[in-house]
Amino acid sequence: MPITLETRQVTKMFGGLTAVDSVDLVIAEQSIASIIGPNGAGKTTLFNCISGFYKPEKGQVLFMGTPIQGLATDAIAHLGMSRTYQNIRLFSNMTAMENILVGQYPHLKNGWMDAILRHKRYNREETASIAEAKRLLDFVDLTNLGDNLARNLPYGAQRRLEIARALANKPKLLLLDEPTAGMNPQETDEMTTFIQNLRDQLGMTILLIEHDMRVVMGISQQITVLDYGVKIAEGTPKEIQSNPRVIEAYLGPGAAQLSERFRKQKRHLHENA
Amino acid sequence: MSANRLSIPLQTSRNIAQVARRVAGILVVIYFVWRFYTVVIAGAAYGPDTWVRFAISGLILGGMYALIAIGYTLVYGILFMINFAHGEVMMIGAFGGYFVFEILNAIKMPGASDPALSLLNAFPIPSIILAFIVGMSASAASGFFLEKIAYRPLRNAPRLVPLICAIGASIFLQNAAQLLFGPQRRNYTNPFILERGTGWTILVAGNPVIITYTGVFSFVMSILLMVGLYMLVQHTRLGRAMRAVAQDKKTAALMGIDVNAVISQSFIISGVLAGAAGVMLGIHQGIVYYYIGFIPGIKAFTAAVLGGIGNIPGAMVGGLFLGIIESMGPAALGIDFQLKDVIAFTILVLVLIFRPSGILGETLSEEKI
Amino acid sequence: MSNSIRNGIRAGSTFAVIIIFLELIGFTVIGSTLIGKVLGNAPQSGAMPPVINLVIFLGLLGLWNGANAAKPDPRGQTFSQALTAGVAAGAFCGLWVAIYALIMGYIQSLGIDLRVYLSAISPESNALSLFGLPGTSAALAHLGLQTGMGALGALLALGLRSGLWRRTAGSGWASTRRGVSGVVAQVRRFPYAVYVMYGLLAIIMIAAPHAWGSYWNYITGTVGIYVIMGLGLNIITGLAGQLVLGYVAFFAIGAYSVALLTAPQPQNIRMDFWPALLIGIVLAGLTGVLLGLPILRLRGDYLAIVTLGFGEIIRIMLRSDLLTPLTAGPHGVRDIGQPALFGMSLSSDVNFLYLILLAMVLAIFITNRLQNSRTGRAWVAIREDEVAAKASGINVFQSKLLALAIGAAFAGLGGVLFASRNQFTGPEDHALMVSINVLALVIVGGMGSLPGIILGAFALKGLPEILRELENYRLMVFGALLVVMMILRPEGLWPASRPRLEKKDRSAPPVREEEPAPMDAEGVKNANHS
Repeated sequence: MPITLETRQVTKMFGGLTAVDSVDLVIAEQSIASIIGPNGAGKTTLFNCISGFYKPEKGQVLFMGTPIQGLATDAIAHLGMSRTYQNIRLFSNMTAMENILVGQYPHLKNGWMDAILRHKRYNREETASIAEAKRLLDFVDLTNLGDNLARNLPYGAQRRLEIARALANKPKLLLLDEPTAGMNPQETDEMTTFIQNLRDQLGMTILLIEHDMRVVMGISQQITVLDYGVKIAEGTPKEIQSNPRVIEAYLGPGAAQLSERFRKQKRHLHENA
Repeated sequence: MSANRLSIPLQTSRNIAQVARRVAGILVVIYFVWRFYTVVIAGAAYGPDTWVRFAISGLILGGMYALIAIGYTLVYGILFMINFAHGEVMMIGAFGGYFVFEILNAIKMPGASDPALSLLNAFPIPSIILAFIVGMSASAASGFFLEKIAYRPLRNAPRLVPLICAIGASIFLQNAAQLLFGPQRRNYTNPFILERGTGWTILVAGNPVIITYTGVFSFVMSILLMVGLYMLVQHTRLGRAMRAVAQDKKTAALMGIDVNAVISQSFIISGVLAGAAGVMLGIHQGIVYYYIGFIPGIKAFTAAVLGGIGNIPGAMVGGLFLGIIESMGPAALGIDFQLKDVIAFTILVLVLIFRPSGILGETLSEEKI
Repeated sequence: MSNSIRNGIRAGSTFAVIIIFLELIGFTVIGSTLIGKVLGNAPQSGAMPPVINLVIFLGLLGLWNGANAAKPDPRGQTFSQALTAGVAAGAFCGLWVAIYALIMGYIQSLGIDLRVYLSAISPESNALSLFGLPGTSAALAHLGLQTGMGALGALLALGLRSGLWRRTAGSGWASTRRGVSGVVAQVRRFPYAVYVMYGLLAIIMIAAPHAWGSYWNYITGTVGIYVIMGLGLNIITGLAGQLVLGYVAFFAIGAYSVALLTAPQPQNIRMDFWPALLIGIVLAGLTGVLLGLPILRLRGDYLAIVTLGFGEIIRIMLRSDLLTPLTAGPHGVRDIGQPALFGMSLSSDVNFLYLILLAMVLAIFITNRLQNSRTGRAWVAIREDEVAAKASGINVFQSKLLALAIGAAFAGLGGVLFASRNQFTGPEDHALMVSINVLALVIVGGMGSLPGIILGAFALKGLPEILRELENYRLMVFGALLVVMMILRPEGLWPASRPRLEKKDRSAPPVREEEPAPMDAEGVKNANHS
């Protein structure tokens, strides 16, 4: 299966602190991969290294086989990578439609001279992009909210709009940073289905950071666990769930045995009942 | 692959920009060295006594720039905002000192043998102290109210908003001073012991060089104040609180620090230093009017950027450095002395192009993406 | 009750500071003179206005003080509470002003002429501020006037607020704006109506210069040039969010290009106006690019200070001996060429005004087309969130550079027109004041808003020409306006509105109407209140 994203020994340091330490990652096309880990494990830093906000000190990031480490963020976006943010970053004083239109930026060709002249090609492209933006609005269930300012939208709608903006770039790889943060269980379920649809309907590759284990375990083909910047485990949801190092990273040393004992007791109770 | 085709021009254009910057840097250095060589060494335009004079006046000026620059750096370190009105705060301090001297000079000493003897000259040292106290308090008060009225309501606004507000405040204060005190330049009345132009005479290469009393006084004052500030920031509770707030306002607030109070206090401290600089500027250069704050203000900001914004020792070094460059630069490079103001701005641009984090490096809290 | 007294004291003391400040800068005299213009008892120039005018002036301030002190209380406000607040505010304001009057009276009785220190205080103006009475009586008069007016103001506020006030003043401006937009929208529904409207506007613009006479043509021309420059700065600051404080530098480059290329002195190139116009615009734009190249990658606020420095450098250079052979130094350039079309000179004031208006229309046209295009959206996105804009594929650096170049070119156009119209330009035409003027009009009008900028140019450039007495106070007022606008109304008088791109189905439920986008702090503040 072709590989969309690969990182090789990516390392990012802040002063003396190694936020991401020699992380290897391989993500296959049309898959959903997750990065999990306790707070401060370097998940978002890794995202920032991939999307070009940070330049890693060491290592390589390969996107569709091309090395992209050190490339500017906008250049990476042009190659077909989009992302969302942990704390929503919309263009708050623009309308929802405009946010999506900005997301289409890499595909459009009109320059400022075209905008002043407004010739046929300009109008054609503008009409097409507005139609496309409306389609995306419908896709993320924001029909009829397109002319509202982004900051006036409710929280869930803002999350979806941010994803729509990312989708407008027609990305081959979508990075989602905690897409269900601050959502209630029902909204979370909807978001989970939505992410699955992105892969199944649009054939996208998705890498997400997520804290909600129900979401992670439910939709990921592959999970990577980071702790103190180091990759401590990788595998399918099943493998990760029973990995003692992961449990210890989350709950502290000795937790793995405890949880094993707890599981046994529970099984015991079930058998008795 | 399309990805390859796209990435290469983008990448190379950036590399070219970097190379161009380096080449431009080398060219600038070569030009300076060449000018310096032709003017100073080959041309021998000035004798060593003149150079000493330039250096001394540069140090004195630099001390004042440093005091003002600290104000910019303190505020920038905490609020990420250029306090444009800081030069005007200094101007207010200069006026405060001016009025103290004027009033004391207008009151004649009763019962003195010389009927023309004024209070100012009968008690010169208490007068100077009083002038500094009044000047520093006036500046501190204006800094405090400036923050409270104009900047505090904008604490969470986008960065353009407080910046524009600060520019408005600067223009307002400048023109209010013009309307209050008139547009004319006023002469600072110094006490006799600090008469301008008098001082110790030393011989350099056989030529006399005057080290003025006002100059020595200003320089010593500015060094003392800088040391005092450094102690305050490094070794007191308030200093610790200030450093904490500069690092991370939210966490500092969680640790029980009253962030608003700390911000107010740093504006007061900035004002105190600027006020002292203002009085010194008046005493040393002898002229005060509504516009004296503007150009020194911009230059002091340059000094703060030069040293690395947010960095207090950097502001001190940057100020002294800028003062010296400004007074020796035109002579060393053979530039018209009319253009000495241009030097500061040129340095600002050059620093921003080639080393935007300044000589000693910025110390700003990590801005999260 | 004690609460309203405390509020009253605070409000009153603030007002006292304002009144004393106005006395010290001599504004009370100017204000009374202006009132004299209304009453028809204006004094000869230089003489003091009658005392009654000052009483009216201070009385009006006192009314405002009282009304301000009796601010509406969300928990409801009784008659007596409002009255207490008003009286307390008035009394305290009066008290401070009375103390000021006593001090002034004492100093005057000593025979000290304060003009040496405070330029606005002459013995005559001092006597006026004492109502022509001796110190103690004057103090009592001030106290009485302020207390009475404070009470009256509070009552007025209470009365008005209960009915009329909210509906008229409170939302009057917003509804006016909406009304204008509504008319435009209504007209747009008819085919060709837009053309009829443009036609009408064009006829007005063609006819008016003939009717006005040269003085008004001059003022309108200046306003037009400032509209052009405002539109240019709006692209840089309003849309792309980059603060430029040395905007005058680009203006100067335009002005000096046309001056040096067409004037007989000091260069004697004597080029025709039109190519010089083009060269001026292009040179200004190029300077923008050159200035932006090193700076625009850095933190946003550095651009402000570097451009400020650059503006000053240009002015200092123009005055210096170094450039005198090239630019005629501090004397400036005279006899700058004027345009001619098909052999017909356009130098008469009416014709030149046509040229300015044409350039203004062109500038409006270009800005209008740019701001809702892909380029314009990229600019606004950068203003809103630079990091997210970058991640959306926008080359932030190039976009900012483009905005700076276009904005600078607009300023160049303004400079060319300005110099050519006046047939003169010198270093003092290019002081920092021009930059501040343009910035203030963009901000007061509304950043990013086309009608706002036209409104701002008329308010800030046109009004002061009409109220010549206030000339000295203009810059101070601009400074205060910048501060006040940023705190109270950062989106400007006529805020920018975003285009409605999603054409809705008729059947779909109507979407909640939103107030057009307030630019900045408003949203944050609202969020904090709730």
